[in-house]
Amino acid sequence: MEHFTIYLPIAGMQFNVLLLLLIGFTVGVCGGFFGIGGAWIVTPALNIFGFPMPYAIGTDLAHMGGKSIVSTIRHGKFGNVDIRLGVSMIAGTTIGIELGAQLVMLLERAGLAESVIRKAYIIFLALIGSYVLYDYICHTRRVAKQGAATSTYSETLASKLQRIRIPPMIRFPASGISCSLWLPILVGLTTGIVASVLGVGGGFIRMPALIYLIGCPTAVAVGTDLFEVMITGAYGAFTYGIKGRVELIAAMWMLLGAAVGAQLGTVAVKYVRGYSIRLLFATTIFIACASVLLKQLEMQLASSITILAAAVVISGVIITWLVKGVISERSASQRPAAAQSL
Amino acid sequence: MNIGRCQQVFLRGPLSFGRLAGALTAFLLWTPVREVMAAAGKPATKLVNVADTRGLGPGITKWVGDLYNASDWQFAAMVVVIMSTMGLVLGFGCDRLVGLLGINLGKMKHHE
Repeated sequence: MEHFTIYLPIAGMQFNVLLLLLIGFTVGVCGGFFGIGGAWIVTPALNIFGFPMPYAIGTDLAHMGGKSIVSTIRHGKFGNVDIRLGVSMIAGTTIGIELGAQLVMLLERAGLAESVIRKAYIIFLALIGSYVLYDYICHTRRVAKQGAATSTYSETLASKLQRIRIPPMIRFPASGISCSLWLPILVGLTTGIVASVLGVGGGFIRMPALIYLIGCPTAVAVGTDLFEVMITGAYGAFTYGIKGRVELIAAMWMLLGAAVGAQLGTVAVKYVRGYSIRLLFATTIFIACASVLLKQLEMQLASSITILAAAVVISGVIITWLVKGVISERSASQRPAAAQSL
Repeated sequence: MNIGRCQQVFLRGPLSFGRLAGALTAFLLWTPVREVMAAAGKPATKLVNVADTRGLGPGITKWVGDLYNASDWQFAAMVVVIMSTMGLVLGFGCDRLVGLLGINLGKMKHHE
């Protein structure tokens, strides 16, 4: 394995390139499928394998920008990117990221960056995972009782927020919704602060926020969120780059693996229902939460095994769904051709 | 079980969402005390950011290290440029490859 070990001059350490490619690939599959940057996999994974937390955050943000471009290109062609909504959120997101980055540097100077960031991670992951799972359970019970034809968006928090008439009002055609411009800006600001402090693109909080606060369909939330992750990743890479916390060589290797994974994960969205994406998303969030909690309890080995095994298994599930979808699509398209030849 | 009943169990039951979240938050807020006290003894991070390129021959690793040592702003700008360029090239390249597999990559229908 020594042949695959490379020197990372900025972090000043040796690292296995296959590990970087594997982390990149798995997070690429998950990121393209869930519409997230996947920092809850990358940041703890890099940290577990020896990266100091601020370098893990900066390196992750750098590769995230490139990887999100790969996914956004494909989601855009699927019609899943609401550019107007994404642009509306950018102002809030950018200010939020800078506020968050300043907070991280403050914590780093106080010597509290690692512990505080990890604890904030656990709280956010647990809360978001619980809410998405709760929504999924309610949805399945509702569908079982009333039939699949029932509208998913009968009276939700999103529809209530959309009725708040603070000018200027704006319409988002790709998402099929209208609301005050302040709603996406405030959602962007909040998620930007959280994203920067936790060293993530903000996807794991913004994707559910787009669904539950703004009211996007799941696939559009995934695509639009990746558009945002692309911007936050680029800005985060720049701001952490200025602070000298990006290990560029590691980011480049991870991006190579992530590009292939992101393409596969993005295409898989086409073959899966929105609520199935939400269920797998909640499961993934809980596993990430458990992994960070194990690390907090100083169970290092268990934590690293959990996060990597989970990322590989979830990527496997997504790729299996993709293969099944492609096979069924092909068999469906061959049936009319076979009927015609008869 | 209808939505109202489901919400009641989740919001007001003995293992409700709010209570679990409260317990978790209390546990996590309690643990920093000893870490704040322990943090006084050791330095947080290295004070000067310098990439050690002394043992490196010409190549991309040395170039990145030298770039890092030259200027923070220049390094940050190059990080964004390199990652964006790689993203674009790999994005269109992978897209073309997946298209060659014969998968229908047209606009998709949104179904929940």
